Order: sequence, then C-alpha cells, then structure tokens
Amino acid sequence: MALVELRNLTKTFKKGDETITPLLNVDLDIEDGEFVSLMGPSGTGKSTLLNVISGIDRPDEGTIHVDGVEVTRLSRGRLADWRAANLGYIFQTHNLVPVLTAYENVELPILLLPLSAAERCKRVELALEAVGLSDRIDHYPRQLSGGQEQRVGIARAIVAHPKVVVADEPTGSLDTKTSDQIQVLLQRLNRELNITMIMVTHDAETAGIASRHLVLDEGRIVESGKIGTTAVPAVAHR
Amino acid sequence: MFRFAPYVIKSLWRHRMRSVLTASGTAVAIFVFCCVMSVQEGLERLTSDEDAQRTLIVFQENRFCPTSSRLPEDYAPRIKKVPGVKDVMPVQVWTNNCRASLDIVVFNGTPPRKLQQARDLKLISGNWSEFEDRRDAAVVGRNVAIRRGLKTGDQFSIGDLSVKIAGVFSSSIPAEENLIFTSLEFLQYTRGLDAAGLVTLHEVSLTATADPDAVASAIDAALRAGPVATTTRRKGAFQTSTLSDLVDLIGFAHWLGYACVGLVLALVTTTSLMSVQDRIKEHAVLQTLGVRPARVFRLVIAEGLLLCNAGGIFGVALALAMLSWSGLAVGAEGVTIAFRPSIHLAISGATVTAIVGIVASVLPALQAARTPIVASLREV
Repeated sequence: MALVELRNLTKTFKKGDETITPLLNVDLDIEDGEFVSLMGPSGTGKSTLLNVISGIDRPDEGTIHVDGVEVTRLSRGRLADWRAANLGYIFQTHNLVPVLTAYENVELPILLLPLSAAERCKRVELALEAVGLSDRIDHYPRQLSGGQEQRVGIARAIVAHPKVVVADEPTGSLDTKTSDQIQVLLQRLNRELNITMIMVTHDAETAGIASRHLVLDEGRIVESGKIGTTAVPAVAHR
Repeated sequence: MFRFAPYVIKSLWRHRMRSVLTASGTAVAIFVFCCVMSVQEGLERLTSDEDAQRTLIVFQENRFCPTSSRLPEDYAPRIKKVPGVKDVMPVQVWTNNCRASLDIVVFNGTPPRKLQQARDLKLISGNWSEFEDRRDAAVVGRNVAIRRGLKTGDQFSIGDLSVKIAGVFSSSIPAEENLIFTSLEFLQYTRGLDAAGLVTLHEVSLTATADPDAVASAIDAALRAGPVATTTRRKGAFQTSTLSDLVDLIGFAHWLGYACVGLVLALVTTTSLMSVQDRIKEHAVLQTLGVRPARVFRLVIAEGLLLCNAGGIFGVALALAMLSWSGLAVGAEGVTIAFRPSIHLAISGATVTAIVGIVASVLPALQAARTPIVASLREV
C-alpha cells in the first residue's frame, strides 16, 4: 500500500461566471520515502493538489489516504491535529513568524505535540543542525537572508518527524546559488532521513532532484515517470 | 496554552505603540470606572450599612441644611425615655459649605465622652485626654487630615472656627473619616452660631430588638408638644434625603462608569481586529502547521485579555492609590460620602477588565479562527 493514495480526485471552483477545474479525476500513489516533483503550466492544479494532500483544502470528489488515514473525512480540527503530527509544509515565501526567533519558529509545530521541553529543545537543535543553522538560533527572520529563512522553514517542516513533507516552490523566491543549496538540502533530507517529499516547482533543474516526476495539465497528470526515464520539461511555464 | 505564551506576548509587542496606546486608554477608562464605582460604594455604605439602619437621626421638621436645624439640647433626656432607645448623643453640626462640594469641612460638636462610647473611632495619633481636657481641642478624621495636610498639634482655622488638633482618627465607617469632632460646648459657643442650649440633631442608638421605624414615630410623637417639631428617620434615610441632589448626580455618574467600560470594549475590539487583520496570513500559516482553529481563537482571546489586563490592572492600581492617598470626599449639607479603596472595588475593576478583554476579543478571534487557509496564504 502506498504512503499517499489519491483516488478520483476532483476539485472545482467558481471565478466569476467561469468554473475552473484545477483537478479532474486524479489518481496517484506515492510510496514511502519517494521524492516527487510536480510540474506543469501555471494554473493547472499543482498547488491545489499539494493543498488537498496537506488537508488545507478539500476536494469536491475523491479520496486521499495518507499512511492509511482517509484525510478527506477528517474535520477541520482533526485535520489540524493530523497535520501537526504527520505533515511538514515548506512555503515558497518561507512564512516565518516575524516576532519569533529561528528557534521559536522551528519549535512552533512541536508545541502542539505531547513532548517535554527537553525533547522539544533536542528536536529543534537537531532540525536546525540538519539545515546548517545551529549558529542562528536566536536570530529573527529579519536578521536572516532569504536562503537562511528558507532553511528555517525547512527545519520547521521536518522538526515533528512528519511522514510527508510538501514543498510549494521552495526555491521560487531564491537566487540561483541559494536555490542550488536548498535543492541539495532537500535531496539530502529525503535520502538521509527517508522523508517522503512532494514538491511543486516551475524549475526543471529543481525538479531534477526528485526521484519521480509528474506533469499536470488541465487538472490531469499527463506525464509520470522516474527521473532518467521521463524527460523533465526544460520550461514548464505557459 | 502556556507553551504559546511567548508568541502571544511577542505578538502584542510587535506593534508596541498600538499596544501601549490601547493599554493606556484602557487604564484611563478603568481608572475612571473605579473612581465612579468608589463613589457608588461610598453612597451604598452610607445609606445601607448597619449603622445607617440601626441609628436614628432626630432633625428639625422641614429643615435640611444643618445651619437651619435648631433643636433644644434638652430633648436628649426626653428621647432617651422612649422605649427602644439605648442612648442619645446631641450633635451640633457646622459646615463650611451647605452646597455640594469636594472639599467640604464638617465639624460635629458632641460631648467628648459620649463620642468615644457611641463611635468606633481609633486614634492614629494624639490622645483622647487632650481632646477631653482642652476646650478648643478637635480630633480630625483621617481623610480630612490627608486632604488638608493636618497633623496632631496643628492649629486649624476655618471661618470663625479655630481648633487645636488633639488627634487624627480612623473609623470603621469611612464617611466619619471626613469629620472633625470638637466638644459640643465649643461649637455651640462659636461666633455666628449662637447655639447655646441648641443642637443640630440628636443621634439615637437603639436597643438590639427595637424596630427603628416604630421608635422614630414614637420619638416624633413624644416631642410633638415641645417648642420645635421633629422628623426622626433612620440615619441611612436621613443621609439619602440630605444628599438627594448628589444621589441623582451619582446615579448619572454610574452610567458614565458603564460608558467607560463600553469605551474599553470598543478600544480593545478595534486593536484586536486590526491585529488580526494584519496577521491573516500568519494565522493561516499557524493552521497549516497544525494549530487548530479553536487554539487560534484562544490565542487571540489571550492577546486581548493580556492587552486589556495590562491597562486595566494599572488603572485599578492607580485608582486605589489615588483613593487612598487623596482623602477625597464629596458632601452636601454636612453629610459626606467617602471615596475609599476597597478589595471589592479592586476585584470589580479586575473582573470588569478581564470580562471586557474576553468579550472584546471574541469577534477578532472568530475571524482569525475562521480564516480560510488557502485564500489567506495568498495574501501579500
């Protein structure tokens, strides 16, 4: 059984008089420890797919199972609990809480878990060490560079030891050099910590770090394959 | 919940000027609320405590200002014969102002020994023997002493009166701390009063089983044949009637107190709402990380509560300090209402602050908790 199972997933919404269907009968299995990249032209449902897998958006039809839990049936509160324990989310714009230090930002998700202060401290320090920011724990987001902020965001996503980490264009707001560093980091976390990763990206080079590559178009997965067997589109912008 | 305390505190500190201004506004409003409530409490104490209910005041019929009530001093033994009367204390009243005033000075002339028996007064400084021995000696209530800067040994003059302060007293009845007691004779012979053999009122204490209203009627009936007709009422009713104009004013001020609470409510709601609207995306991020909507709701409530309490507790403390140190009182026609700090006042102020903090945050908290995550994450 796959770690993430999507069956017949459909999502529509109204925009004025127009009905938009970002996801249409999507079926997808993601195995434990896989690193999947999602590509496709803008507006084809990549982020929507990521959001419904994360449980921050709901599909109109279909089911999502993650590690045997049907997340589509959970209430909003239960979904939040599920996310706290099982899901890490890396945002394109980092979305760190500006009034909290790097340490406090990383600690936020595990404040929700039944962990002692000592255990929380250990986990935060390990997460920050994993992203190479042990010397920045007391820095506020405004005192960090874009790349460092994204590292803190990544540490925050992995600190709860989630089953799945989703990343919405994690290198989208970074320069090339920093983007390369983040790619290496994500790949390393996937391999060394065996974290299942699902990443939306517009960038073919970033998509190249994934072990599997999916292309969405008009709400459907139009290409799917292991890296090396399926060509990664050079430019996915339409 | 306490795990998120640093987040709550730092969120308030993020817009420190806004938070400080809101807390200051809350402090001022709660300060006014407490002051208004202390007047209300003072009036309540004056008209409804045991002393007010179990003591009778015999006054000249159809007279209200102490300067116009002139009863024979020798009514006292006649009143004492009425069944249910335990003791009678003739009192000559002199006041510097018959109208409503915040700095009214009221002298009560009474036989010194009777005063010590009838009133629960404790000398903070000075001694009773000097008060008894010296003709122009006076004991001064703590509030008057604070307000006028008086201490034992001082000579205090006002109008035609000049007294030597033999002591400063405190009393279990706060309004009494606004009085200056002299001997009855001294006040009767004061220039301008010409009250030899006359007193303003007789204060009547009752036996434990006596019915105050029945005894009051009996006193008026017993004195009907005398040279001056009397009206006898419970002390509380007498004081309410004497202060009737002020009672109306205090009733109106009571609404001003509630208006202050409304002001705090509006102020904290506005600040909380602005804070939530500034952080729509942040609340969506928190929910994405796994914070339940109910917890987001509680976090916003905690912020409002903390903000309101920061100002409110300061306002309460300021009001209590001002009430203890200023010795303020308002009075009219020889009757005064003491503005006194009390535990009840402190608890009321703190409770109102907490309730307002919670109520004011409900709407912003609901907005934060109901934030649609995906749409809010797209906010710039």
